Amino acid sequence: MSAPVFFLALVFGVHIVAVNIGIALATIIPILKRRAVRAGDRALEGAARGLFRIYAVTYALAGVMGTAFTVFLLSFYPEFVGIAGNITMVPFGIAAISILFHFFAIVAYWYGWDRVSEGFHSLVGWLLTITAYTIPFGFRAVFAFLNTPQGLVLGEKPSLDVVQALLNPTFLPLYLKSVVGALTFGFLFIAGVYAYQGLRRELSSVEKGLYADSLRIGLMGLLAMLFLGPWYTLALVNVPVKFNNIFAGLGAALSAPTLSDYSWLFLVKMALVILQAALLLYLLVPRGGETTYTPQGFKASIAAAAAAGLTVLTGEYLNAFSQYPYFVANAPLIADKLPEPYRTLLTRALNLENLSPLAQDPALYLATVVGVAVLLAAAGYMLYLVFFKEGGE
Amino acid sequence: MLFPPRRMNLIEQYLSYPAAPERILSIIGIEVHWLILQYVLGLPLAVLLLLLLYRRSGNENWLKLARTAVKALGLVFAVGVAAGTLVEFGLVVVWPNVLEAVGRYIYFPLYLEIFAFLAEIVFIYLLVFGWNKLSLTGKIVVAFLALFGAWFSAAMIMSVNSYMVAPTGIAPAFSQQAGWMYSQGYPKVLLVVPGDLVGALDVAKLQSLGMEVVGQVGSGVAVYMPSSIVARLAYEAWSAKTVGESALALVVKPEALPAVKSLLVKDVVDRILVETVRTIGYTTVTFQSPVYLGSFLHAVGSALTVTGFTIAGAFALLILLSRRRTAYYMDGLKFGAYFALVSIILQGAVFGHILGVEIARYNPEKLAAMEGTSSQILSIPRALGIEDLMKIIIYGSPDAKLPDYDQIPRDHCSLMGVPSIPDCRPPLILHYLYYAKTGLAILLALFSLGVVLLLRLGKELGSAWLWGLAASPVVAQVVSFLGWAVREIGRKPWTIYGVMTVDVAKTANPADPVVYAVAGLLFVAVVAGLVYAVWRLLLVPSLRGEGG
Repeated sequence: MSAPVFFLALVFGVHIVAVNIGIALATIIPILKRRAVRAGDRALEGAARGLFRIYAVTYALAGVMGTAFTVFLLSFYPEFVGIAGNITMVPFGIAAISILFHFFAIVAYWYGWDRVSEGFHSLVGWLLTITAYTIPFGFRAVFAFLNTPQGLVLGEKPSLDVVQALLNPTFLPLYLKSVVGALTFGFLFIAGVYAYQGLRRELSSVEKGLYADSLRIGLMGLLAMLFLGPWYTLALVNVPVKFNNIFAGLGAALSAPTLSDYSWLFLVKMALVILQAALLLYLLVPRGGETTYTPQGFKASIAAAAAAGLTVLTGEYLNAFSQYPYFVANAPLIADKLPEPYRTLLTRALNLENLSPLAQDPALYLATVVGVAVLLAAAGYMLYLVFFKEGGE
Repeated sequence: MLFPPRRMNLIEQYLSYPAAPERILSIIGIEVHWLILQYVLGLPLAVLLLLLLYRRSGNENWLKLARTAVKALGLVFAVGVAAGTLVEFGLVVVWPNVLEAVGRYIYFPLYLEIFAFLAEIVFIYLLVFGWNKLSLTGKIVVAFLALFGAWFSAAMIMSVNSYMVAPTGIAPAFSQQAGWMYSQGYPKVLLVVPGDLVGALDVAKLQSLGMEVVGQVGSGVAVYMPSSIVARLAYEAWSAKTVGESALALVVKPEALPAVKSLLVKDVVDRILVETVRTIGYTTVTFQSPVYLGSFLHAVGSALTVTGFTIAGAFALLILLSRRRTAYYMDGLKFGAYFALVSIILQGAVFGHILGVEIARYNPEKLAAMEGTSSQILSIPRALGIEDLMKIIIYGSPDAKLPDYDQIPRDHCSLMGVPSIPDCRPPLILHYLYYAKTGLAILLALFSLGVVLLLRLGKELGSAWLWGLAASPVVAQVVSFLGWAVREIGRKPWTIYGVMTVDVAKTANPADPVVYAVAGLLFVAVVAGLVYAVWRLLLVPSLRGEGG
């Protein structure tokens, strides 16, 4: 694999982890705020506000990494971007407009806190939550299309039958699995934040409640994934090359070529899921003594959150790399059936090994590594200063 | 003759170019994004200067003003990112073909811009969220880094935009000595054709069409290719035509045709463009655009001007609404007024002039439209009798010739009717946009000069002056808006001047105009939301004496 693939993987990885946290935070923060206002609970409102601060920073990170991903994609695979751009106005449009509203909701929610009426603030909260789910709706429609290009119409010009694209057999399970996975990880992340604070100071009763609730919701999410994970796996029957690249190494193969073996990554992911389950059971199943709020319990929660984050990361990488080197997983099965000139154009445009000729300079790659390292270090310093350094605000 | 006997319908002409709904949506998107970004470029410099003033004088008002400016910066940056994301996706789905070309041949500045963007996010939010945890020196350093990130970002984006306005190696169609040179195939684009392709081409036939051979460069041959041929090849490349179906078949040697006729034109064009960019240098190709320097300076100058007037206007409004002239308000007003005056003088007398001279040389069609050198409209310089003054400003001599709009062939951007462009001339509406912009800018400069003189003389600004200042940010934004309109609308029907026309650049699957209208309204809603937020979050607290 070439360096650009790793650059894409790096920024996509940071992006996806951050947006997963965001989906959970965008869900829970408006709920907490509404509950706090109704009950007149200032401590709960304070906790919601604290979580929102984390959200603003993670979303900024997600935003810049998402933009970096788009630009890297454009720089290294411009022909793919050109073709995709010509046919994906509807799904990308849904995502883009949702992102716009989401940004607006973030800014309005943060700056409008205590400054606008509760009704309006609550309305913005709804917008924040709803758009958190419509953004992945658009993007996952594209990801499902990249599994198998259902809805692609190759007439005089390439176009997309949007209804057919949304009926893609991998779309719904992928979307639901992604969203529930995000909630699982996101709530465990919230639990992890409180656990980290619990190791440094005594948690307030509100914080303890949020901490325990987050762990429970995380566990429920994990249980839901026991259903959604296999559903997506079954849907991958429609994407046999990808299926084989994941499961052939484990003895399950469909009648299609097997181009690579990512069964090890699948096993890593499963091990992380088991680890999460074990830690959550350790934390939540009563055994006569209270472990949840002990230092061991807090450490276990942080470990569960880390395992959940890695699960999201490995899941996304498994989904992406198991179709390498093709942008569309079913490309090897359909390429021969395409009419010209689409066969020539798509065969090369959908190949991840076909880098743009002007973007193959080792000096460019070195500069990228140095630049990303320096700026991530700066971002790390910003996070430290804002969240961990004592004093000031 | 002052009034033309036969007037052109300017709106009809503007709408007659291909992709009208897409163009209108894009100009809205660009303008809204720019409206916001000017503060992202201007406010970090304001913050830096205020912090330096505070360090020198110890005047707490400078620190308080810097804090307010940082809050504003955080707000506009967040909204700017939202609008930018919509613009980014808009480019992908509305103009995918030009984006593909940009990604393939001139991606490098966009690539670097990612690092600038990351720097902006980190340092701007470090200022916003870390203000109370940073020392004064720390604040100054971070403000400088935020400024660097913002201006670096602008430098990168403007290089790509400059390339689209005047690609590196463009040979314009007008000169003072020869006048218009369309009959010789101008404007022409410098290309490097790989050696093996040269062997397959009938060079004599191409020369008869206007191609000029410059000479051997590395493994290829540098040529000046008429833009009509380049535009046709771009059209055929993105229409997935083969050489056999292309105009190329007419200029390929008969003996070579069987071997190449099934090749995609896109592949042939790709080899030429890759060789060209490689020869010029992929890291520098956009920065060598002949209009880059002026474009970058003019963009920054505009941002600083708008920022200065906005600061002055905000404090004038505070004085008017609170009916108090506190030291803080007066310091803020003074800072904004001086900032605005210096910026607008630099912008008009230096940056604008540099860009104007560049445009006159490399975009003569646009200059003709800007100056309204057509008998089909009422020309403002003709009506005011200042044509010679314009010649002096542009060319340095009253005896110079301005390019005549009416002599531009309507079909110079196509070869044998392909691509199908009804009018290859830039829209004449440009004339009024340009003169409205210039006129308002001059008024704004004179007004700010008056304000500063009164302040220097220690006179109190009356309410008329204050209301004028309060309105000045809107006027400054209108001037800036018109500037971008002139730049972008004036490039039509080209998307990349001399290379790619708008019909080629746009998506193969355009949406319903109603969808575009909704998207356009969303952009407008972003601006409305930002204005409301600034009012509620910055102005109202300042009125309450909370310092914003």
